[in-house]
Amino acid sequence: MADYSFNGGIVISNPYPVDKVEIIQAPLPKKVTIPLQQRIGERAKPCVSVGDYVLTGQVIASTKDSFGVFIHASVSGVVLSINEQVIPHKLGLKSQCITIESDGKDKWIDNSGCGIDFLHCSAQTMIDYIQKSGIVGLGGAGFPTHAKLGKIKQCHTLIINGTECEPGVMCDDALMQLHPREIIRGVEILLHICGAKRAIIAIEDDKQAAYQALLMFNHNDRISISQIPTKYTSGAEKLLIKALLGVEISSGGFAVDRGIACQNVATTKAVFDAVVDHKPLVSRIVTVTGSGVKPNNFEVRLGTSFKSLISMASPNQKAHDYRMGGMMMGVDVADIQAPICKITNAIFVNNHIHKPAIQECIRCGQCSEVCPVGLLPQQLYWHAKSENIEKAINYNLFDCIECACCDYVCPSHILLANYFSFAKALNKQQTREQDRINIARERFEFREYRLERNKLERVQMMADKKKALKEKMAKEQSQKQKIAKAMQRVQQAKDKKNDTNI
Amino acid sequence: MTPIFNSTSWMMRQVIYALALGVMAAYYFFGWGVLLQIVLGVVTAIAVESAFLALRGRDVISSISDGSVVLTAILLAISIPSIAPWWVIVVGVSFAIIFGKQLYGGLGNNPFNPAMLGYVFLLISYPLQMSTWQIDFLSLSQALDVVFDLSNIDVISGATKLDEVKNGLSLAGSIQQLDLHSPSQAWINAGFLLGGLYLLFRKVIFWQIPAAFLAGIVISSILLSVSNTDLYLPTQNHLMLGGTMLGAFFIATDPVSASTTPKGRIIYGFLIGVLIVIIRTFGGYPDGIAFAVLLMNMTVPLIDSFTQPKVFGR
Repeated sequence: MADYSFNGGIVISNPYPVDKVEIIQAPLPKKVTIPLQQRIGERAKPCVSVGDYVLTGQVIASTKDSFGVFIHASVSGVVLSINEQVIPHKLGLKSQCITIESDGKDKWIDNSGCGIDFLHCSAQTMIDYIQKSGIVGLGGAGFPTHAKLGKIKQCHTLIINGTECEPGVMCDDALMQLHPREIIRGVEILLHICGAKRAIIAIEDDKQAAYQALLMFNHNDRISISQIPTKYTSGAEKLLIKALLGVEISSGGFAVDRGIACQNVATTKAVFDAVVDHKPLVSRIVTVTGSGVKPNNFEVRLGTSFKSLISMASPNQKAHDYRMGGMMMGVDVADIQAPICKITNAIFVNNHIHKPAIQECIRCGQCSEVCPVGLLPQQLYWHAKSENIEKAINYNLFDCIECACCDYVCPSHILLANYFSFAKALNKQQTREQDRINIARERFEFREYRLERNKLERVQMMADKKKALKEKMAKEQSQKQKIAKAMQRVQQAKDKKNDTNI
Repeated sequence: MTPIFNSTSWMMRQVIYALALGVMAAYYFFGWGVLLQIVLGVVTAIAVESAFLALRGRDVISSISDGSVVLTAILLAISIPSIAPWWVIVVGVSFAIIFGKQLYGGLGNNPFNPAMLGYVFLLISYPLQMSTWQIDFLSLSQALDVVFDLSNIDVISGATKLDEVKNGLSLAGSIQQLDLHSPSQAWINAGFLLGGLYLLFRKVIFWQIPAAFLAGIVISSILLSVSNTDLYLPTQNHLMLGGTMLGAFFIATDPVSASTTPKGRIIYGFLIGVLIVIIRTFGGYPDGIAFAVLLMNMTVPLIDSFTQPKVFGR
């Protein structure tokens, strides 16, 4: 059991419980749509063209960006198109995607003998290998794993996050119950890469089956498994570190700077698959839950559409409302033709957390009681609403992790976290605007200065020229005079001579 | 899944329910006048608030149904004498709603506690009506007669114990010679104390304000009575006379106008308690709760900005 805790947070039990946690293998999709833009980093560049035949696991887009990851075909088949497609986004935005039509054979690239012997590889080789395997944080944040691993210096503790980010999501729980061996091996690989002395796998105490499963397969004395109290937001990296180690990562600081590496259990499993089985990231486990479906976990190929996955979870007639991610921090997805991405950990269908009409804030302070970061959401709301961003920043706006605990308890049903993300966006926009204004002003000022300088230079040049001309003329004049004088002298001499000759 | 709260109106209703015990105690001792004032207050409050919301072009039904205006009316109605003429509560509630709330922009935007603002307005404008309390239980017809001034009936009325302390001390010379025994006030206070504990239990209010409020009263009254036992009221009388428990659990805890940080609530509540003892002891008015609360309302922005909790990682 972890000895520490953090303030705030809320206890919410799974609103859509299941009898038995399992993982259903989703059938191969007929078509996959794979976005080239991952959450951060540059967009990967396609290295196949329309009409090409690709094998499962084949690289179809690569990148040289240090935050970018490689992208692989998740089925074998023919590349149908490379164009803009709908992605999971609350506004139904489009992004560049590669669409592959499956041939239904699921032929893999030849991976025999390709698994690398990680014990005899340098950490950098491993990190490059992980980038080429397309692995990102599968907890929902999608931060590229190689980039995180590459930043760690003098790592002493590796934390494996098995806390399940949000109530209702079960994909990590299922993975720990059903693949404990792979996870433990994955932890060993990560331990090797980051050079940490110990690893702690953190599990919430309501996931006893997962805890027991991991305990049974763990024979490594550098790996310990720790249970933490079930409380929402304990999956947040900094709060998890506080709960496990009592270490408070400073605001704006990173865990890696304190020698702590944090990885999700699903990411750990993906690392195992890549290193040992030489399988790049082509599928993930997605929880489909909510009152509109029969809740379950599915192992699904990346690029499968939301629609076809939802149809596997026996949706009822009234299924109409879709949300990607958890019920607290997820985003509503407008178009369910959108594909499952690496960050799609869960889909909520008809999630009934939607609240009744919004009332005025009465500053009851329930929000600040549950804020895990210790903010005063009621004050922040006041300033965010009046777009007084400077004041909001004074109230530590940028420390808000947007966990929406405040939304959950607000008796006036105000969507506080929305206001805070709005305020942050507004601030970014204002900063950009200010930067632009500053640049424009600098440019203008420089132009003015340049024009003035040119004018002065011209005047100076003219003056110089004039002076030179004058000098030249004076010189010429004096020369002329000299010549004239000389001529005169010659003339006089001549005249004298003539006179004497006469 | 059940969130901790259903709604703001749920919270307001809890506070109204919690007031029931104290109101029942007041009814037991003073009779129908207590309830009559509440009815008058609530009707006025709903009428005035509806009119103003309509003028401001807001949704009348949803705003009325949040229950805040009913709560304000009840708090003011149980703070004034139950034999006060009908227009006192009407004027007081109207003032509280219009000047204490709507002119600032309605629920959530008022810097002062509306009920206390109404109370102080009445106290300053109608001192006679505001300081005449009855002694006996009144039947419904008696209460109607008195409140609506229908016929000349005699009600045995007098000052409260706190008034007596103020006025009687100069005659008697020492506190010990005064009869401070008042079962009615003690029971009413006990009723509000129990109601307050219910609110704490339901987590509608936080413990800091009432605890600090009572601590402020206890500490400052002990200091005073230690300095001169003849001159200053003992602590137990401070706690059981006047509106102490009502103030501690129902008035100072008004979330809109109170401090919102955990540390701030302690400072806010404590200073209200201290101010009450100071006003009761040295001020011109018998009970100082309304003044103490309004004075501290003014300091809330300052307290809040100096008592921000520690943010994670800072």
